[in-house]
Amino acid sequence: MNQFEFTSRQKRTFFIMMGIGLVSMLLTYFMDDHYKHLRFWTNYLHNTVFFAGLAFISTFIIAAFVTAWAGWYVLMKRIWEAFSLFLLPAIILFIPLIVGLWLGWHQLYIWNDPDVVAHDEVLQGKAGLLNRGWYTFGTLLIMGLWYLFAKKMRDLSLEEERNGAGPDFAYHRKLRVWAAAFLPIAGFLSVPLITLWDMSLEPHWYSTLYFWYTGASWFVSAMAVTVLLLFYLRSKGYFPHITDEHIHDLGKYVFAFTIFWAYLWFDQFMLIWYANVGEETAYFKLRRDFYPVLFYANIFVNFALPFLILMRNSTKRKVGTMVLVAIVVVLGHWVDFFLMIKPGPLMEAQHLAGEHATAGFVPGFTLPGLLELGTFTGFLGLFGYFVFKKLTEAPLEPANDPYLEESLHHHA
Amino acid sequence: MNSETKRILFGLYDDDEQVLDAVRKAKSDHLDIMDVYSPFPVHGMDEALGLKESRLHIAGFIYGALGTLTAFGFMTWVFTRDWPIIFGGKPYWSVPAFIPITFELTVLFAAVGMTVTFYAVSRLWPGAGNPILHPRITDDKFCIAFDTTTCDEGEISRLKNFFEATGASLVETKEVSEEA
Repeated sequence: MNQFEFTSRQKRTFFIMMGIGLVSMLLTYFMDDHYKHLRFWTNYLHNTVFFAGLAFISTFIIAAFVTAWAGWYVLMKRIWEAFSLFLLPAIILFIPLIVGLWLGWHQLYIWNDPDVVAHDEVLQGKAGLLNRGWYTFGTLLIMGLWYLFAKKMRDLSLEEERNGAGPDFAYHRKLRVWAAAFLPIAGFLSVPLITLWDMSLEPHWYSTLYFWYTGASWFVSAMAVTVLLLFYLRSKGYFPHITDEHIHDLGKYVFAFTIFWAYLWFDQFMLIWYANVGEETAYFKLRRDFYPVLFYANIFVNFALPFLILMRNSTKRKVGTMVLVAIVVVLGHWVDFFLMIKPGPLMEAQHLAGEHATAGFVPGFTLPGLLELGTFTGFLGLFGYFVFKKLTEAPLEPANDPYLEESLHHHA
Repeated sequence: MNSETKRILFGLYDDDEQVLDAVRKAKSDHLDIMDVYSPFPVHGMDEALGLKESRLHIAGFIYGALGTLTAFGFMTWVFTRDWPIIFGGKPYWSVPAFIPITFELTVLFAAVGMTVTFYAVSRLWPGAGNPILHPRITDDKFCIAFDTTTCDEGEISRLKNFFEATGASLVETKEVSEEA
């Protein structure tokens, strides 16, 4: 069973999920029209960024592994190829946000409000990057460039599948050039995009660790989603050659990048806490005072749980513990993005409306509600549908990759 | 301290895959391997030899936890009881400021503790004798050794046949005295 078959039952499930998402988004839009439907727009941005990031970081994973001459991952590379191609739908998902910026559909970004900027020296200074033009063309061109690389690497991989490894592994040699070229592009160009999408929600605040932090969050989530998808496909009889050894290595990645994420979280926090400069502490003060549950749960769920559970060798090789950790980590990092995105726009909007920032419970902002989970389900359905569709386009286990033998005999 | 002499029959192999296959064959032939020596870790050797998982990491966890408690407890005591000083307007008990040192001491305790434990369990200390069967085991050869002290001729020839069948490049017997 090397050819993946997208059954009608799976399609139906994904369509139901997308339906739930659509209904949730419509309900959010019409039930809450505060601050130009802020709850709807932050939800939309939150999930778009989360899933666009999964696609981006999967492209990065392939590029990094190819450049590092890694062999163990080859059997499962189709999964990351399928993830990486989601960059194209992700670009389309950004279009409503971009159009809304020009037509004033939403007030996610206060730097887009000329009246605010006119009275704000800090925003005037940052206007070189924080403007509609950069948001529009930065998003379209940079994500377009990323997609170009993802597509090119996928195409080379498929040509290799069809035509054999080629004389002197010609396809893989070409792939290496594209992969190595993508690494600096991914590193440098993710910075303006993350700034524009997420960090500029609170445009007076900045942190130079924020990009690493976001990237680490995406990386852990991508690995955890891979684990879940692999277990699912294996239970259907696909990927017969993927053994506990491969799962073990994925577990190590989840474990290692959980620690990396926590390290960056704490770095960012401690430096700001220690220096105690007002404009920097605003970010954490807002979250600690008004979002204490998520603020503390974030560290516990995204660091302590996976760290303690995956510490042992044997838990990285068992289905039960790995699935448990993967689900916790995916939801945990989704909430991590919730905490990055939600508080800023609400605070700015309340400020703009002349209201005091609320210390109480604001549904959909203080905690993710059912509508937020519904929106997530919808995006997950779309992502899953797209990935499954892409998995049908090529044999699941590649035949001609030069590192295939190494992957088949992998021993963690 | 009485010393004991062991007669050891060993064979050298050129390749890690070869020695792995030989160990698997020895296991299926029910030959009692004393030990396998190699210049680098051979993937899959632990399972082939049927070795139990090392308990060293459990010791490592305990040392690490001890380091965490030592660092955190000591700093808490110093900064709240023994010698409270205000740094940068922060409270005496400033948990975030303690984290880096707690982390460092956790790593230090775990690393040093595991190293010392490993040497102690392996009975390696300064001046410890370390009989070596063949110098090239430390370079590029892989070795399977059998303890033949109590073996009769028939068993020894059976072992020699085994070495021949699995392609050992050199087979030798060596007397090794071991302090018991």
